[in-house]
Amino acid sequence: MSKFDIRKIKEKLFLVTVAALAILAVFPLFHIVFTVFYEGISTIMATGPTFITGTLGEGGIGPAIVGTLMLTLLSSIIGIPIALAVGIYAYEYPNSRIGKITTTLLQIMLEFPTILVGLFVMQLIVIPMGSYSVIAGALALAIIMMPYVAVYTAESMSQIPFTFREAAFGLGVNRAKSVFMIIAPIAKRGILTGLLISTAKVAGETAPLLFTAGGLYQSYPHSFTQPVGSISLLIYTLVQSPSIADHQMAWGAALVLMVIFLAVFIPIRMSLKEVKL
Amino acid sequence: MKIRKPDLFQIITYPAVIIVFAIFISMLITFLIKSLPAFDMYGFNLYAKNVWIAAENPDNEKYGILAAIWGSIYTSIIAVGVALPLSIGYSIFVVDYAPKKVKNVLIILSDVMAGLPTIIYGVWAVFFLVPALKDNIMTPLYDTFSFIPLFSEPSISGFSIMSAGILLSIMVAPFASAIIRESYQMIPFKYKEAAFSLGLTRYETTKLLFGYIKPAVYSGMILAFGRAIGETVAVSLVVGNAFNLTANMLAPGYTISSLIANQFGNAFIYGHMTSVLYASGLFLFVIGLGVNLLGIYKLRRWRKNVEI
Amino acid sequence: MKSLEYAIETRRLNISYGDNRVIKDVDMKIPKKTVFALMGPSGCGKSTMLRAFNRILELNKDAKVSGEIRLFGENIYAPGVDPTEVRKETGMVFQYPNPFPHLTVFENVAIGLKLNKLVKSRDELEDRIHWALEKAALLDEVRDRLKNYPSELSGGQKQRLVIARALAMKPKILLMDEPTANIDPIGTRKIEELLFELKKDYTIVLVTHSPPQAARVSDHVGFLYLGDLIEVGKTGKIFESPGSELTEKYLTGELI
Repeated sequence: MSKFDIRKIKEKLFLVTVAALAILAVFPLFHIVFTVFYEGISTIMATGPTFITGTLGEGGIGPAIVGTLMLTLLSSIIGIPIALAVGIYAYEYPNSRIGKITTTLLQIMLEFPTILVGLFVMQLIVIPMGSYSVIAGALALAIIMMPYVAVYTAESMSQIPFTFREAAFGLGVNRAKSVFMIIAPIAKRGILTGLLISTAKVAGETAPLLFTAGGLYQSYPHSFTQPVGSISLLIYTLVQSPSIADHQMAWGAALVLMVIFLAVFIPIRMSLKEVKL
Repeated sequence: MKIRKPDLFQIITYPAVIIVFAIFISMLITFLIKSLPAFDMYGFNLYAKNVWIAAENPDNEKYGILAAIWGSIYTSIIAVGVALPLSIGYSIFVVDYAPKKVKNVLIILSDVMAGLPTIIYGVWAVFFLVPALKDNIMTPLYDTFSFIPLFSEPSISGFSIMSAGILLSIMVAPFASAIIRESYQMIPFKYKEAAFSLGLTRYETTKLLFGYIKPAVYSGMILAFGRAIGETVAVSLVVGNAFNLTANMLAPGYTISSLIANQFGNAFIYGHMTSVLYASGLFLFVIGLGVNLLGIYKLRRWRKNVEI
Repeated sequence: MKSLEYAIETRRLNISYGDNRVIKDVDMKIPKKTVFALMGPSGCGKSTMLRAFNRILELNKDAKVSGEIRLFGENIYAPGVDPTEVRKETGMVFQYPNPFPHLTVFENVAIGLKLNKLVKSRDELEDRIHWALEKAALLDEVRDRLKNYPSELSGGQKQRLVIARALAMKPKILLMDEPTANIDPIGTRKIEELLFELKKDYTIVLVTHSPPQAARVSDHVGFLYLGDLIEVGKTGKIFESPGSELTEKYLTGELI
């Protein structure tokens, strides 16, 4: 009897431990969201709308917001078409040698230290051009984005029941038409989700922009070949400054970035079962 | 039958695949070529010594990034060590105990954490986590356990290897959780039934079944380690950025990625520093490649076996 | 106390998943040291009922049980009864052979004994494992492979390993859920022969969807249809002169 009591106690202890660990694992998120909101909102309230529209001199992060949008947009334009084609290829040849290597490469790139991508693009674009630029930053982000989009595309297509594939090929049209015009659209929801999540992801990236985008906060960017800032990059700079005013600015910028991220991420996440991060 | 025309499918997809391969290979080549001068100059000592002398005269420059390598590994080990129990506890709770609604919320929260911009973790850590750790964990640890080499010196600012490790653990726990949770969920129901039919308690059943997914737990750890070692901005903000080769986790340190983030901007001033930083990047490249390949391979092999 | 001659007795047993009643008011008695076959078309509730006998049904959070199930006179659904204690008394064998793939043959048989601390020494453990494997008619085939993993055993051998795992706990009742459904004919024959041996010491409840198997191995048989116990009695009698039209239809293969 007493022997079994020990097992009972272990059982209770186990449940309590497991529940505590689960809460502890996600608790930081609550704290982060609350703190960023609390600290950020006071900065934004103090400055007013200028915080969103003004330049750094005026106490605003307008150029950084525009920079983030430009970088995200251009990186999507560069990255998405290539990534879609690669994803569809990986779906179409899951068992061929090159198909397998492609899948592995995509997974490796998914996990790759992003700062290294920045260094690579610096050597590839910034040095020959002689200047940081939107193009360089966007290319770095595109390289980071591609594996996400490709993996999402391949996975959502592979979930399509085989019978649709048979039906598509049964129509006698060529493979390109069957895959691009019939099968891929069946998975469009999954593919679109992948696109949005990947976009949200790169919009918050910092490390790859350090040596590619350069930073521009006192005026709005007006050229793709000139340096550009981003919200994340600005926060990184502000946090390292000794000035308290800069720290408050960083909180405000962090709130803007967090709101953008959550506004894109949460609705998508709620609408599907699993994501790959 | 008509003669087969070149397949439009291949015309569209092959170039894209070639581009992705080309990017990866040219990255590797770039890092190799840019590292060569540093290897010529310092040889293997670049990775084996702890020295950082940036001088205007290139002949006086001396570099060895051992402290950064050590810091990368040390912080990542702390990260995985702390993240692992969190991830395992989280996975068990989500799969076995949480009611359906709580379960969904917990999974979404974890996914949000995995996707949250790392700079946000960085801001939060600089202004909240580091001071909180210093006051509530690091100082008491030093006061009580300073005889242990791990806590031998007090932390002055709180910016330290330990802070970076803890922050990384919070950041990588969602990745490890996702892998462990998915694997735990994949265990066929028949094994759970078998365990219960033998009169095992829930705790004993879980322990037994975790034996079954051990390979997946290992790959979760490995992949989390890979993420931790590559993370840059959040770490560079809290690790303290000092060339310390010490076991004392309360001391400030460096990691390879934060070394690059910190020094690369000014490196062009010096003769050899840029090449040294590319060589550091190459080290990270190789480690990242090795660690991730191992993790992916282990996970794949396990998933293949489990379906049988 | 009066019902001690029965190993299992159900009284107004009802089981439901949400609003869906899958076992309806079943009263049934299973005599000790016999093979009792529970048969019926798929979806009739026989596997569900079997899982109520060792309270493993609780793994499914939607399942609700009401009424009584008495094992040797004791109601296992009475308040305060520990389900793990019930499960120690009842060994179970499943439709898909499920030896733990990450444990060796030896460890598979040992795991229940070890965690329940049913043996006191290593010697006793080894003796018990050899005994259980012998009982399950597997010892000769695996004697040199105790340290190997079950993946290299045949389906029939895996199933006998699961039987050994259950027997090692020295249960009084053996619950078998279509144990030969996924086994080749030779393996099936071995397991059926084994049942004749085992019923000398154990009460066996065998769920099967195969009337010929029930006829071959059981002493008593119960026929379940859509959650109702249509008929129960001695196997010979029911197969010779079924008391209900439904039973007859089932035995002649008209109900699937």
